[in-house]
Amino acid sequence: MISTMTPSGAGFRNLLQIGILLLVLASPLSAQQNITAASVLPDEGRYANRPFPNIVAQSLQRQRFQLSEIWREKPVLLTLVFTRCAGICSPFLMSLKSAVDALGGLGSEYRVVVLSFDPRDTPSDMAALAKHIGVSSNGDWIFGTSTAAEIERIAQSTGFWFRWDAERIQFDHPAMLVGVRAGRIARLLVGGEVLPVRLKEVVDELRGEFVPAYPLPGRALFRCFQYDPAVRRFKPDWGFLLLLLPGCTALFGTFWVFHSARKTPDDSPSLSP
Amino acid sequence: MEISNNPRPNDVQPTALRRMTFIWMFTMLTLFPVLLVLGFFMRALQANFMSKLQPEWFYAVLTLHGLGMVGIWYVGSMAGVSYLLGRYVRPSLAISKVAFGATLLGVVLLLACTLIGRMGVGWYFLYPLPLHSKGVWPPWATGAFLGSLAVFGVGWTLWSLDLLRAIAQRYSFSAAMAWHYLKGRSEPEVPPLVLIVTVSMVSALAGFVAAVVVLVLYVAEWLGTGFTNDALLMKNLTFFFGHVLVNITMYLGVAMVYELLPAYAQRPWKTNKVMALAWNTVLFLVMFAYLHHLYMDFAQPHWLQYLGQIASYMISVPAAVVSIFGALVLVYGSRMRWNMVSLLLCFGVMGWAIGGVAAVIDSTVAVNVRFHNTLWVPAHFHTYYLMGVVLMILGFASYLGEERGQLAERMGLTKLTVSLIVVGGYGFLLMFYYGGAHSVPRRYASYPQEVAQGAAYARLALVFISALLLGVLLYLWDTGRRCWRSFSVSS
Repeated sequence: MISTMTPSGAGFRNLLQIGILLLVLASPLSAQQNITAASVLPDEGRYANRPFPNIVAQSLQRQRFQLSEIWREKPVLLTLVFTRCAGICSPFLMSLKSAVDALGGLGSEYRVVVLSFDPRDTPSDMAALAKHIGVSSNGDWIFGTSTAAEIERIAQSTGFWFRWDAERIQFDHPAMLVGVRAGRIARLLVGGEVLPVRLKEVVDELRGEFVPAYPLPGRALFRCFQYDPAVRRFKPDWGFLLLLLPGCTALFGTFWVFHSARKTPDDSPSLSP
Repeated sequence: MEISNNPRPNDVQPTALRRMTFIWMFTMLTLFPVLLVLGFFMRALQANFMSKLQPEWFYAVLTLHGLGMVGIWYVGSMAGVSYLLGRYVRPSLAISKVAFGATLLGVVLLLACTLIGRMGVGWYFLYPLPLHSKGVWPPWATGAFLGSLAVFGVGWTLWSLDLLRAIAQRYSFSAAMAWHYLKGRSEPEVPPLVLIVTVSMVSALAGFVAAVVVLVLYVAEWLGTGFTNDALLMKNLTFFFGHVLVNITMYLGVAMVYELLPAYAQRPWKTNKVMALAWNTVLFLVMFAYLHHLYMDFAQPHWLQYLGQIASYMISVPAAVVSIFGALVLVYGSRMRWNMVSLLLCFGVMGWAIGGVAAVIDSTVAVNVRFHNTLWVPAHFHTYYLMGVVLMILGFASYLGEERGQLAERMGLTKLTVSLIVVGGYGFLLMFYYGGAHSVPRRYASYPQEVAQGAAYARLALVFISALLLGVLLYLWDTGRRCWRSFSVSS
């Protein structure tokens, strides 16, 4: 929306900005960086409930397999990494493992599929990565590779992206976990850290349970409520105070008006019971 | 003519206040038929009579019609009670002028963003729609829209504060709220008008503060700071503001009925213990009744949904038992003098009652699941608005025209006018109700094959709207000329 602004709109908005600026000074200047980061994250709202491509992949244990062979048995948590990653991939997988260990249910309720989007990676490279993470002996963690065309299909279906940075000799990419149930995207968790509480929401959805609310990536400072999936309850958040503000302000304002009003003399005397 | 049922120290309103009230009424009565024609236009689109027109026009007109109607009747009711309140206290004429200027500026901005910018967010402008035009309207239209709301908000907040100030200069807060009646004392006497206006203005302040918070949050996100809003918080605040604004408009209309109807029934209608209890209860419940707008929001905690259901049911009790029943008792067996004023006031109370019942039905969770996005919703709010508070305010405008009695009323014309308004109005509403009961969705620019019956109902509605429009034009001609004569005499 901002990028499509016309010059006349910009002028009008600048005027408004001056008036409002004082009210929003709390927003740090560094926020612009967050816009950039947030705007390139895969958008769950856009891709949720869409079909997930039934691609062909391969791993050391399974050789050649279709994803549907796995999700027909159990829901799948799928993520895309590359083994030469010097950035987020390993910490992300460690975080995922830690959340999975804390939550439980692996194998009985879901499986984890980790695919490489780097065409240079081989099934052996992925097996080595599994060993590095400490899950190579667990058959419910499936580390594999696929063709560039198949990976592109996943990227198209989820909003995932990766681009080669020749300077850093690394891929630039977001960290993303997709919950796939019966061939459809149930949830899409974005971010470098997988918290057990967030993973529980995803797994609950994969089980077919209704999760009424969860926070989306962004900078919503004032939320009415936070939903705690651990206890399945809503808790008031800071934004709830804003809901109380109108009533309280009106009452105080009224008392102030009545307190400060000068009573008119003679023809319209003050009436107090 | 002696109209009021209460003693009044300031019996004669200042001429300047009277002139200002006429200006408000002329403005309101000029905009009313224009907005009515826009309603006709929307139903014509839904009837597939203009199938080549882009649907964006429907939503732009929906926004203008909705906000315009809510706005003009709010200011109409405020102007009416300000004038009547002048019998007891002294509202500021300067503030009324400031509110008038703000209203005009807001209307200009609103016309620009909808008719030129084609902004189509509906009068409820639910988050995040205003920020995501997808190229349908330009960014300046969003600015003009938010600007118009801000201008309305500033002007109307000042006006509300001024009415409270005027009341506070004569009454203590406990007296204005009639708390002494709750203790069994009836002295000092507090007119129902003062009680209802006090309750309404406190509620109005709360609503306007909610609007300010919404606007600040909108602008904070619109500026592109990276700040994003919580959709649930925005919806709560938006409907708190919207529901309160619509409710107090009705209460102000009812306040005029309390003040004007006794003279026509030739019986007093005074504040008593039950009335005081009822309107104090309203002040509390109106803060929570809006929650029924969020039944479909599963992210809203259940306890708030229960609260919304209970408040929505309970708030109908003070209205139904005290005001509607009170009006019936006042009229029943009285030597009623029927004319345009009394007819419109009584039909207004009737519309309030019928619309209220439809609203209570829709505020029932089990029913709302089915009715939420159907034509039942515009059916009920058009009932208590168009056939409720609008008739009350039109009744007040007629009273203003006849107050000095320069031109005699022709009862034949009055009966024809009121008949056209009532038959046309309820026929138009019936098509909404019937469509809602048959699951025809609302806010559709045109109906797809699955709900093609919606187009047939819209065509029938057009016939009734034509009758209504004719009745309104007759009203405007008859009342307009009497108001103009009275205005000229005042000048």
